[in-house]
This record gives sequence, C-alpha cells and structure tokens, in this order.
Amino acid sequence: MINFVIISFIITLIYIAKIEMVKSYYPLMAAQGVLLFILSFLELQETSALQLILILFETLIFKAIFVPLFLQAITKGRAHRHQHSPVKGYYSLLLALALIVVSFVISHQMHEEFLDVKYFTAATSSIFIGLFIAINNRDLVTHLIAYLVIENGIFLLSIALGGEMPMFVNSAILLDIFTSVLIMGLIFNRLKDHFETTDATHLSQLKD
Amino acid sequence: MITVVMAVITYFVRHRVLTHVMVLTYLAGLGFIAFNLYEHLGEPLGEYFYCDRLGFIFLIILIIVSVLSGIHYITFVEYRNVPREAMALHNAGTIFFTGAITGVLFAQHFGVLWTAMEATTLGASILIYHNRNQHSLEATWKYVFIASIGIAIAFAGILFLGLAAHKIGHVDFTFAAIKSEASRLNPVWLKATFLLVLTGFSVKMSLVPLFTVDIDAKDASPSLVGATLSSVLMNAGFIAMIRFYDAFSLTSILPWMNNVLLITGMLSLVLSASYLLKVRNIKRLFAYSSMEHASLVTIAFSCGGIGYLAAILHLIMHSFAKASLFLQVSQMHRIYNSKWDESIGSYLRINPLGGLVLLLGFLSIIAMPPSGMLITELMMFQALVAKSYWWLAAVILVLVLVIIYGLAVRLLGILFIKKPGAQINMKGATPWESVLQLVLIVMVFYIGLFRPEFIVNNIQKALEVLPL
Repeated sequence: MINFVIISFIITLIYIAKIEMVKSYYPLMAAQGVLLFILSFLELQETSALQLILILFETLIFKAIFVPLFLQAITKGRAHRHQHSPVKGYYSLLLALALIVVSFVISHQMHEEFLDVKYFTAATSSIFIGLFIAINNRDLVTHLIAYLVIENGIFLLSIALGGEMPMFVNSAILLDIFTSVLIMGLIFNRLKDHFETTDATHLSQLKD
Repeated sequence: MITVVMAVITYFVRHRVLTHVMVLTYLAGLGFIAFNLYEHLGEPLGEYFYCDRLGFIFLIILIIVSVLSGIHYITFVEYRNVPREAMALHNAGTIFFTGAITGVLFAQHFGVLWTAMEATTLGASILIYHNRNQHSLEATWKYVFIASIGIAIAFAGILFLGLAAHKIGHVDFTFAAIKSEASRLNPVWLKATFLLVLTGFSVKMSLVPLFTVDIDAKDASPSLVGATLSSVLMNAGFIAMIRFYDAFSLTSILPWMNNVLLITGMLSLVLSASYLLKVRNIKRLFAYSSMEHASLVTIAFSCGGIGYLAAILHLIMHSFAKASLFLQVSQMHRIYNSKWDESIGSYLRINPLGGLVLLLGFLSIIAMPPSGMLITELMMFQALVAKSYWWLAAVILVLVLVIIYGLAVRLLGILFIKKPGAQINMKGATPWESVLQLVLIVMVFYIGLFRPEFIVNNIQKALEVLPL
C-alpha cells in the first residue's frame, strides 16, 4: 500500500512539472495532500491522537482542501497559460524524470540502515522538482506552488523520520506554511493590481 | 504567547498615540525581563529555552535598537502621514518580530530555534511591506518567497540531523544533547545539516547565496526597518549558525565547517566589494556594507581562537553603527526626498549634527580610528595570520580597501559636495533627532576602545566551550 501511495505521489510530481495551465495545478495539489495524509496515517500509527489530528488538519484540510481553493480564488478571472518558460512540454517531463532518477541514485548510494530509499527518493524528488518549477516558470502563482511542492517534500522527509519533533514544533510548521501561503496570496493579489500582470519578470524595479 | 497577544491587540488599537505606547510598553517589559534574566545567566528557562550569555548580550542590543526604531517611527508616522491601518500593522509586526528574535536568542532546541527563525521571516515581511508601493510589494514578495524556501531548506538540514541521531537511538534535539552525542553521529549527515542550515539562514545573515532579497528588503522598506534588519536580524542569523557550529564543534567535521565558512565569507566579501563600487542608492550602499561586515564576521569565526571573540565583538559594534546610519538615512530622506547620491549633497552644512553622525558612522564602518571595529578587524587579521593564511589576509586587505574607496566616494560626496540636482526641504532637518544615533556611534567607539569587562567576560565565557 505504502509503495503504491509513494509511486502515486511521484506521478503527481511528474504531472506538476509538465503542466502549462495554472488551473491544472489545483487538483494535483489536492491529490498530493490526500496522498500525504494516507502516508502519514499508515506510518505514524504509534503517535498520539493529538498529533494525528494535527497531521489530518495539515494534510487533508489544509493541503488538500484549503490550498487549492485559495489558489483558485486568488487567480480567478486570469489568463491561465504560462508565458516564457524556458523548458516546456515534454522536455520538462524528461527533466522531471531525470531529477527523479538522480534522487533515486542519491538515495540508493546513501547505504543508511535507517534511511528508507523510497521515502527519501520521493522527498528529494519533490524538493528538486519544486526548485525546477520555481526557476522554470515566471508566473508568480507557480512560484507559490513551487514553494508548496518543496514543503510537501520536507513533510515526506519528516514522516520518514517518524515525527520526532515536539508537538509545538509540528504546530508551528503548520502555522508557518499557512501564514506563508496566506501572506504570499495577499501580496500576489496586490501585485496583480499594481503591475496588472503576474509575470515575475516585471518584478525588477529594485536595482543597484 | 504574550508577544502574539500584544501584537494582535496592537493591530486593533489604531489610536495614533496608544499604538506607539503598546510597542514601547512591550519593549520596556522585555527590558524588565532582561534585567531579571541577568541573575540567571547560564541557567535553563523551561524545557526549550536557556538563558545563554551570548543571547543575553544580543537581547540588550535588540532592546536598544528596537526602542530607537520605535521612537523614530513616531516621527516617521507624523512626517509621512502614515495611514492608521499601516501604522498599526507595522507596530504589531514590530512586537511579533522582536518576540521571534528573542526566541532565536534563547532557544536551546533545534526545532524551536527553527520555529523562531521562521517567525522572524513572517515578522520581517510585515515590516518590509510598510510603504505599500510597487517597490515594497516586490521586495516583500521576494523576501517571503526566498526566505521561506531558505527556511524550508534549513528544516531539511535539521531533519538530516534527526536521521543521524535516529541511528544511535538518540532523539533529543536540544543543543546540549546533540553536542554530547555529536561525535557518534555520521559526519556526512552533520555536514549536510550544516550546509543546508547555512544556506537557509544566509538570508538573515546577508551572506552568499541568498543575500539578494535581504538587500532589496533594506532598500524598499523604511530606513528604520533597514536598521533592524541590518542589526538584530543579522545577529539572530549568526546566533543560529553558531548554535549548529557549537553543537558539531567536537566532531571531525570542524575543519570542514571552518572551510565552508571561510569560502562563504570570501565569496560574500568579493560580491559586496564589487557591488559597493557601482551602487548609487544610499540604502543599498549601507545594505552592501552590512554584507561586507557579515563576511568579515564569518571569516573571523572560521579562523577560531581569537577570531571567535573578534567575530562577536564585531557583530555587536556593527549593530550599533549600522542601526545609527540607517536611522540617519531616514532623516536625510526627509530633507532631500531622495535616496540617490546625485541628489544628496552638502549634508554636513545643512544638518551639522546629522552630518557628524554620518561622518562618524562612516569612520566606524570603514574601521578608522577611533572606531572600535578597527580593533576587531585587527584581531581578525591576527587570527588569519595565526592560521598562516597570509595570502588570504592580503586579498582581504585589498578587498577592504576597495570597499573603503567605494564608501568614501559616495559618503564624502554626500557630506561635503554641493549637488546641483538636490532639492532641499529644511523642515526635515531637526538636529535633536540625531542625538540618539550619535549615542550609538559613541558606544561603538567605547566598546572597541575600552572593551567593557561585562561584554568581553560574557563573550569569553560563552565561547570557551568552542575548540581553539
């Protein structure tokens, strides 16, 4: 079951890397939230009920429901096609696959007894593909999505470690992602009004 | 918790006087706590915090700089006619930011340290957003985006540390526990942790690789926010880095960590020197100067021995000097309504006391006598020579001379040369507002020249756990 969920997560990453329409991100972000919930439910059965409720809130409520709806709300009525991405279509698909292979090779080479190769592969792939999306796309919404993909990778890493952080650190992480997304969403709206575009190339007024 | 409640109340109290009273009351409370903490130096403060000596010194600096910024903000609000909502948000952000920095200074658990550091990002973003124009929006977006990714990278580093600790059955993330077990942990994971944490926190320290958003933030925010970012936030970044360095200092990766710090410091110094030669915006000029000093602190720290003391003393003096200069820029902006050097001139004649602050601040940051930073920079060179890094000392000396030239060309021009493009508003020249900045500069001279026993003893006691 765990293998199936992790492979599904990696497949969502491949799709995310290839997407050219902003609105196509939302169902995939929701799917990642659900998959992360299933994974943490299967892996962290020995943790306290409170911790499980927190994880449920973070994955299902926040990542699977709130984030896609929030992103949909702030991008309402916009042209949804990306512009000027240097790597497009199937080339970005190939690059995503290459990043996953690199992640797998790195994980496999670690030879760590306590390191679960499949978790580590999925986590590092998520971080690498998140960074790739941030660099490859100039739309501000995709930057926000890239941040969330990276955070999902970090979340996978923390599941792999068995949730050893104290309860309030976990709560702080949740609060942090929530406020970061909220702040970025609010600023995104203001930027949209001021610059009348969401292309990041227009954010170059601050120069030496 | 008190911080969050105070911040929320401050946001909703939009009275023009009460909102400032809230901030100053919070800072007075923090001062009272600091006064009481003095008796408990070296003792734990609950499960996740510790009354650390270095943290205590930087708490004092935090209070001093925050009080001065708070006082300047009162004038700033009146002069700029800041809307009540923006003023309330700024003051609430100041309280939240100050509380978060205090958390970083006294945390004794890596997870808690990370949490507090992330909170500083959110607090700083509120402060940067203050002006609500295109520049501040751009800077805030970049800051939140890059700093959040940086913080996420740092968290990945902490998770790697957890992975290493998991292997020996040790799961306690407190500094003391990790330090005592560090030599049993896999050095590869420790190296990965240090590298990721240094990368993630480089936004706060104004170092390579993520320094650019910090420079933009200081440029686009009010100068009094620049004063805070250049002093207390930078200190918090260094304190966080030192916690990891200290925890791993008894392992085989110490020379590797020193090399990483040296390379980071050198790259940052080269970049700051090259930018300082071309920059014409006075706020960016001081931001790049902060980057230069952060580089020198990193290089000094990487040398160990006397370099540790030099690094911490340098950080303390830089906090006062840079806060003073940024606060003075706020006043200059009122006179010239510009931050570009071609529109600012004859400042010493127009505002003699303000000009004196700028002149003495300039002497401080270029480490000219009687600046105390001369002493710490000499100590840094002493540490480099002790490590037989002669060639590196020579390169650093050349780069520092280039930086002095870059700063002198701009700042002496602002002080003494009449600029035809300058539009002067004499109403903005209020000499009494420069008195507090002058006090800060005098402190830089005093600390460097007389090295007060209280400061030096506490730094030495805090650093005696580090290997020579």
